[in-house]
Amino acid sequence: MDDDRRALLDIHLASCWNCKADVAHLSKAMGALRRVSEPSAPLDDLWPTIHDRIESAKVISLGTQPEAVPAVPAPQKRISWLWLAPAGVAAAVVIALFALPGNHAKPDQQAAAVADTGTTLVSVVDSSYAYEREAQALLDKLELQRALLRPDAAVALDRDLKVVDVAIAELKDAVARDPANPALRQLLAASYRQKVDLLKRASNAS
Amino acid sequence: MVSNSLKVALIAAALGAAPLVAQAPEDMPVLTAKRVSPTFSMNMWNPAGHVKLIAWDRDSLVVRGRVDRSQKYFFGGDANGAKLGILSGAKVAVEGGPQGDDGKPCDFVVWLPRRGRLSIKTVSADIEGIDVSGSFYTVSGAIRLSGTSTSIEAESMNGNLDLGANVPWLRARTGDGHLLLRGKPQDVDAATIAGTLDIATPTVLRGQFTSVSGDIHYAGSPPTGAIFEFSNHSGSVDLLLPATAAGVFSLSSVTGSIENSFSDVRPAALSPRSLRITLGRGGASVTVRTYKGVIRLRSQ
Repeated sequence: MDDDRRALLDIHLASCWNCKADVAHLSKAMGALRRVSEPSAPLDDLWPTIHDRIESAKVISLGTQPEAVPAVPAPQKRISWLWLAPAGVAAAVVIALFALPGNHAKPDQQAAAVADTGTTLVSVVDSSYAYEREAQALLDKLELQRALLRPDAAVALDRDLKVVDVAIAELKDAVARDPANPALRQLLAASYRQKVDLLKRASNAS
Repeated sequence: MVSNSLKVALIAAALGAAPLVAQAPEDMPVLTAKRVSPTFSMNMWNPAGHVKLIAWDRDSLVVRGRVDRSQKYFFGGDANGAKLGILSGAKVAVEGGPQGDDGKPCDFVVWLPRRGRLSIKTVSADIEGIDVSGSFYTVSGAIRLSGTSTSIEAESMNGNLDLGANVPWLRARTGDGHLLLRGKPQDVDAATIAGTLDIATPTVLRGQFTSVSGDIHYAGSPPTGAIFEFSNHSGSVDLLLPATAAGVFSLSSVTGSIENSFSDVRPAALSPRSLRITLGRGGASVTVRTYKGVIRLRSQ
């Protein structure tokens, strides 16, 4: 940057708080990048452990021999990825600077069946827990508003809540008996979603 | 050239000059007549009675209504948005204390611009909408929508919903009420707790239909490429399809039974209570799950 442009930039930064803050962020990020040391092990050695940890939290194995299918294919060819380390760290820093705090998408019910040489793995992102927490928060809130509910709305709410709670109880029992059944978990998530919707409607009624 | 404000005044005068002796809602007194923007946004509250909402191709808002002397009509806002409705004893009670009654029923007819959006809330008042878009909420009243809309969100605690609009996006919820879906919706998310859910339209491309204990009935031919998901706990799911229907139907019930009347089609059994049936060539993808409700696949 030539001196004239540099002078213009300095003048602008002296008067613009937003740009000054951006420059400070970027300077900090660049400083962090310069201090980054090389990884202690090649990335292709680290990745399988990280991948296993991620997958173990969300994969439910079905079928007779799930262990026969490797969750992660063994590395075929050893390539040095060391040159990617600074770029990866830079990307992480930039994401951390500009994307946080972000809106995390609410987990949705998903099930993907993957057939692989006779063995089936079903990945289930189970949203039941998220819905359960949300339902409890709404129930707590509704307790405070219940006095404001019209009598007929309160009766309708209690009746519908009973229907949903009976369904949830039955499904929880069924899941306890057959935890690897993705259909049960999806039905349970759907029932929780119904409960959350019902509580939101009731909250609207008050 | 007649100015817009003069046009509105003329409209209001013409509407107001209508005889008051008739019982038709359109003959009720004019409460508000105002020039508004084409994308006017409106919030309305009427606890009891009936509200009819009609979209028109004019940049003006006209509200006609019959309001009991014990209640107060309010209107506040500008050309871009407004709140209106009844400030009745019920509303005061709801805001300030428990369990007020709905007050005396009030009837309204509202004309608003076609591109406008509205949010209406009632307790027991029925809502009727023609060509209107927005959100519609009632505790126990009925909601009936028709015409063409951009999006619809209709909710009730236990009222009936009759949704017959031509709309690209629709979300509907009720508890014990009957939910009837017809018209020409495309992307639909509809659910009941114990009420019956009837889908009588062949235009849905993406549909999620859910109930806990209410029966779900689908009658029609799923279009090519459509993706439907039916989920029920203890209610039945009944699919009434024409003989020419095409699609892949994945049906599963944990403890309920599955009845298939497409006798000329050989289903593939995935498990004791799970069937996959392919009708025709390709077509739609339909998934049905119940816990103990019966699943019926019937040919028309």
